[in-house]
Amino acid sequence: MKKALEILNELKKEQIIKDYAIGGAIATIRWVEPFFTQDLDVFVVLKEEASEGIIDLSPIYEYFKNKGYLWDKQWIVIEGVPVDIFPADELERKAVEEAQEIEYEGVKTKIITPEYLIVLFLKSNRDKDIRKIQMLLEQAEVNMDRLNEILIQFGLREKFDDFKKKYYGK
Amino acid sequence: MILKRNIMENEIKIIIYDKVYTREELHKMEEEFRKSRAKLSFEEKIKILVDLQKLAFNLSKKKEIIIWKL
Repeated sequence: MKKALEILNELKKEQIIKDYAIGGAIATIRWVEPFFTQDLDVFVVLKEEASEGIIDLSPIYEYFKNKGYLWDKQWIVIEGVPVDIFPADELERKAVEEAQEIEYEGVKTKIITPEYLIVLFLKSNRDKDIRKIQMLLEQAEVNMDRLNEILIQFGLREKFDDFKKKYYGK
Repeated sequence: MILKRNIMENEIKIIIYDKVYTREELHKMEEEFRKSRAKLSFEEKIKILVDLQKLAFNLSKKKEIIIWKL
């Protein structure tokens, strides 16, 4: 885990990416009780915007390859940790920008906040995402005002109201 | 552990040793336990995650679970 974070920090230092933050289940675990997962989801902000709808992740994969880490199934396995790289869209870029800086065993990294995680999971809306939203709302300290602002900004307020009605009856 | 169900006035009481709980109280205790685990450090949580991965690996037949190196 520590090594994976060091390699991700190198990507930023070498200016292959602008920034990154941990999302998905591992970011959720930062805020709630631990639960089983296998992969480390990482949202990266690329140096260049997508051109004609094409996003080129080759420089990132080339960097990993040169370090001896290869693509296996959907992951890059860095020192035993399967890493999923996602190029950040508009919402995810904001989530990376506002992610919390933390240290893991002395290595600096960034973790997406509960408010942005809820919005990202709501957008994906798979069963496993819904469960994570519930865990975040029930166990984490969520800034509801900030959450509301993000929901409105990205046009997801109505979807969140539907979620609350369906799972909490209000 | 002695665990008995005592049905009285439509409310199930659960006895654990010398204490009596309602189902609602047990749920509340479980929720408090979850919240306390949510406050563990990130490092501690990742160690627990790896323990969960080891457990899942041992229980799975196909042995496709990846156990992280810390």
